[in-house]
Amino acid sequence: MLSTFNFRVIWDYMGLFLQGLWATAWISAIGLTGALSVGIIACMMRISGKKFLSAPAIAYIELIRSTPLLVQLYFFYFGLPSLGIRFTEYQTGIFALSLNSGAYMAEILRAGVQSIPGGQVEAGIAFGLNYLQRLRYIILPQAIGVTIPPMLGQTIVLVKDSALLSLISVFELTRASQILTSERFMPAEGFLTVAVFYLLLYYILKSLSGWWQRRLIHRQA
Amino acid sequence: MIRFEKVNKWFGKHHVLQDIDFHVAAGDVAVICGPSGSGKSTLIRCINRLEPIQSGDIVVDGMSLTDKKTNITRLRAEVGFVFQQFNLYPHMTALENVTLAPLKVRKMNQNEADELGRELLEKVGIQEKASAYPAQLSGGQQQRVAIARGLAMRPKIMLFDEPTSALDPEMINEVLDVMRKLAFEGMTMAVVTHEMGFAREVANNMVFMDEGKIIETGDPERFYTHPENERTRLFLSKILSH
Repeated sequence: MLSTFNFRVIWDYMGLFLQGLWATAWISAIGLTGALSVGIIACMMRISGKKFLSAPAIAYIELIRSTPLLVQLYFFYFGLPSLGIRFTEYQTGIFALSLNSGAYMAEILRAGVQSIPGGQVEAGIAFGLNYLQRLRYIILPQAIGVTIPPMLGQTIVLVKDSALLSLISVFELTRASQILTSERFMPAEGFLTVAVFYLLLYYILKSLSGWWQRRLIHRQA
Repeated sequence: MIRFEKVNKWFGKHHVLQDIDFHVAAGDVAVICGPSGSGKSTLIRCINRLEPIQSGDIVVDGMSLTDKKTNITRLRAEVGFVFQQFNLYPHMTALENVTLAPLKVRKMNQNEADELGRELLEKVGIQEKASAYPAQLSGGQQQRVAIARGLAMRPKIMLFDEPTSALDPEMINEVLDVMRKLAFEGMTMAVVTHEMGFAREVANNMVFMDEGKIIETGDPERFYTHPENERTRLFLSKILSH
């Protein structure tokens, strides 16, 4: 197989691939920021104990988790303009990615919050800390600590999911190899290269996760 | 300082506190004992409204818990609480555990709070552990940090919910010593404990509870040597036999 592989074409298109890699990186970074914001808010609403806050949060989380990202993406891409709301492809794509990943982040965060013994929250109550202060100083620092590894896992999913944005003509890594395919008709070379780049991103995030876990263990020892 | 007036509380159908009348004067130490499930922890948890009550009233330092005008945060600042399981914040150092409430609730500045924190850690005898995390401390040390944290808001009242029950035997005394010191300094205290030596030494008032009711109260000497009620006698014979 290797003899039929045209490595040269990969090299010719390296500039395009690197641009794609860069686009995937920043799209994922913004998507992640959005996902974390949405996730923290949805999680706080869900555990607030107030129905008018928790009900919409549950509806959002369930709706996102029960439907494919591609459907959500198409819905925002084709649906929003018909409602008169216009975004660029990039904005729509990042919006859908944030909203999708945010639902999973919310559930990861909720598991983290629930892992904190109730006694600590009681201690906070007993010393007069209000709900937001307990959240900020007692619950979230610990919840985020224990949820960093699963959140990085979800971030890896987000990076890979960003490939779907190529379907609404956003330029990113996968799109780069689609361009190569349509110009030179060499899909194997193109997608193999893209896969290697995704692998690279995956290992960066994975080693971050490992580093964080060692740090966590070190601090609690 | 603390007054219970016909207090009733239910957990679902379970009537955990039944017509409780109970009073702790300023500077007094009340020791509450009784079999598990008798409602003694619930009783002291009601004092700073960690548990709500369904009828009757509790008045703490002149503030009524059932009065809607009472500022519950202010009331809680007057009442320090020490838990059986310490409930320290594991992501904070001993000093940070103590200074959290002064910083965030009292809005003290960092220097003042640190000074207060060190002073309190010194008071409980572990100033050298100020920058240790709870996981690096023994149970007795953790509970002493928890007492320092309980004192951090300069409360008028300290509540202790079985403070030595989760400790290894050799660590019980270091915690009791700190509590004795507080009692002799005139702190108003309500303590759920079965530590008889401690009770005899510092308590002004013993309270025996069973099945949600106060069965017997009295001064500790008479309470331990001549309990009036049959149930008290039975309970004491069980805890004193070993």
